[in-house]
Amino acid sequence: METVETLVAHIQGLSGSGEELAHLHNLLRQADGEPLRAHSAALLPFLAQLHPSAHSLGFLYLLEAFASSASNLRAQGGGDFLVTMADFLVSCSAEQIRLAPDKVFKNEVMQLNAPIRGIAPLRAAIRKIQTSSEELTPIHADYLLLCLLAKQYKAGLSVLEDDILEVDQPKDLFLYCYYGGMIYIGLKKFTIALDFLHNAVTAPMSSLNAIAVEAYKKYILVSLIQNGQVPSFPKYTSSTAQRNLKNHAQVYVDLSTCYSKGNYSELEEYIQLNAEKFQSDNNLGLVKQVLSSMYKRNIQRLTQTYLTLSLEDIASSVQLKTPKEAEMHVLRMIEDGEIHATINQKDGMVSFHEDPEQYKSCEMVEHIDSSIQRLMALSKKLSSIDENISCDPAYLMKTGRERGGRFDYDDFDSVPHKYF
Amino acid sequence: MDLAAVHAALAGKSYSSIAPLCDDLFLQAASRGAATDGWPYAVHLLAHLYLNDLNSARFLWKSTPQEAKDARPELAAVWRIGQCLWNRDYAGVYAAAQGFEWSPEIADFVAAFLESYRKRIFQLLTSAYSTISVADVAHFMGMNEEDATNYAMQNGWSLDAAAKMLTVVKPKVKTNQKLDASKLQRLTECVFHLEH
Repeated sequence: METVETLVAHIQGLSGSGEELAHLHNLLRQADGEPLRAHSAALLPFLAQLHPSAHSLGFLYLLEAFASSASNLRAQGGGDFLVTMADFLVSCSAEQIRLAPDKVFKNEVMQLNAPIRGIAPLRAAIRKIQTSSEELTPIHADYLLLCLLAKQYKAGLSVLEDDILEVDQPKDLFLYCYYGGMIYIGLKKFTIALDFLHNAVTAPMSSLNAIAVEAYKKYILVSLIQNGQVPSFPKYTSSTAQRNLKNHAQVYVDLSTCYSKGNYSELEEYIQLNAEKFQSDNNLGLVKQVLSSMYKRNIQRLTQTYLTLSLEDIASSVQLKTPKEAEMHVLRMIEDGEIHATINQKDGMVSFHEDPEQYKSCEMVEHIDSSIQRLMALSKKLSSIDENISCDPAYLMKTGRERGGRFDYDDFDSVPHKYF
Repeated sequence: MDLAAVHAALAGKSYSSIAPLCDDLFLQAASRGAATDGWPYAVHLLAHLYLNDLNSARFLWKSTPQEAKDARPELAAVWRIGQCLWNRDYAGVYAAAQGFEWSPEIADFVAAFLESYRKRIFQLLTSAYSTISVADVAHFMGMNEEDATNYAMQNGWSLDAAAKMLTVVKPKVKTNQKLDASKLQRLTECVFHLEH
């Protein structure tokens, strides 16, 4: 085993070209684990001999080895160490740490119970490790978790707003979608939250995982708040999910059945009965929002039947006590843009309107246009992925074998019929 | 902590830029492990309220250390405004904002917040009501009945003095419907692309 001194010398000598780095990476991997960790307490002085931006890879390995022992962290009071780490993430060289992205860490800030301290450095690290904004890195999920723990929900948006198209590890994707969904739930942007949770539920999986189960529970609740019903699984959902998810979320499935009856007090009773289960899933707050969305849903339903309705009738049909209360509910919904209506206090009536948007303003055209552009870019991306897969030898082998080596006439028919 | 940028924004009355500025500075300061004792929580919180970003305000309040909440009556006063907004206690907002002796740094900011809030509420009343009682307008706008009537009349509403009812007149919204040819061209190309 080499001494730490020689290792440091290697790091200093081999941080230049790509080839040297690959060699150094091998050396470091050999040294990592027991050999380095045995010296972990003595590593700190060596860090001073390295330059964070010139020797990033070596620096990262030494830092991690140092932090691997909890007593080191505590002895340092964590303070200086976190500052060193933060400085390192901001100044390190992107190419070098990209070789070992799994080493960029959240555990240290978690151990020291200071999630907020990791947010700014990790955000810098994500941008460094990414080769494009479409790439999902292993630290995306860590970053979002820190945002949730530190209640810095808005900070999470900066990575959530990118369209992710390249994923390496399935677990990264599941966590990214789950935490992303939670951040949007916290900000009450339920439509986008639904998209994220939907992706976690419908992502390909060969065996069921706990993240998907939790995501499905929240998916049911948010669907009820946002749309008043839970859609059935789309066709592309994995059969594992379709077969098993509902069994693991029975209380939630029953909740949605109860919700569909549209009776406020019945739903309230059901929730009280099962409050403990919701509480243990940490979903009780969301469940309460489901309950209060019931008024909204019932008022919205009225707009489909009536053109005008008295406040009194609204109150009695959605189980509110006074007309004034109904008026406040309607006002709140108008404020949030959930219905289009005007209240006439003189006659105590509410008249419901059609959506005033006529889809012919400049902004709307602009909006449609940008959506079309995005979709076209996405479809191009899809067809290029499709092409890549159909050229993949492993895929061809498998599909070829399944058909027992026989080829159909269609296989030779690469030109669509319409050109004949 | 360098709060010069925040002070400059306050002095320059560019209130809407304060929230993102504070968010960013706060995270930077936290990553250095700096003590947050001197952090202007009250300004930060009010900046979220100014943008009507109640969720961010709520989370900021939740993550504010208890000592700061106890030691600073001004911060607690800002949060009382936030609570009224959250519960849609329309009249309570004015009471909370006017019932506290604000320090000179923040007094203008509170006044500006109240001004923009009042405008927003008037807009809401305009879109949500066709007729509304004078008492309710006064309640929503945090004014006495006479001032409220005057304010509404100035915006073109008409008064039925006998019933004490105001009739709301909705201003015609002018939308820009003129399309320039390039956009049509692009839409045409899209449709062409889809059909072939």
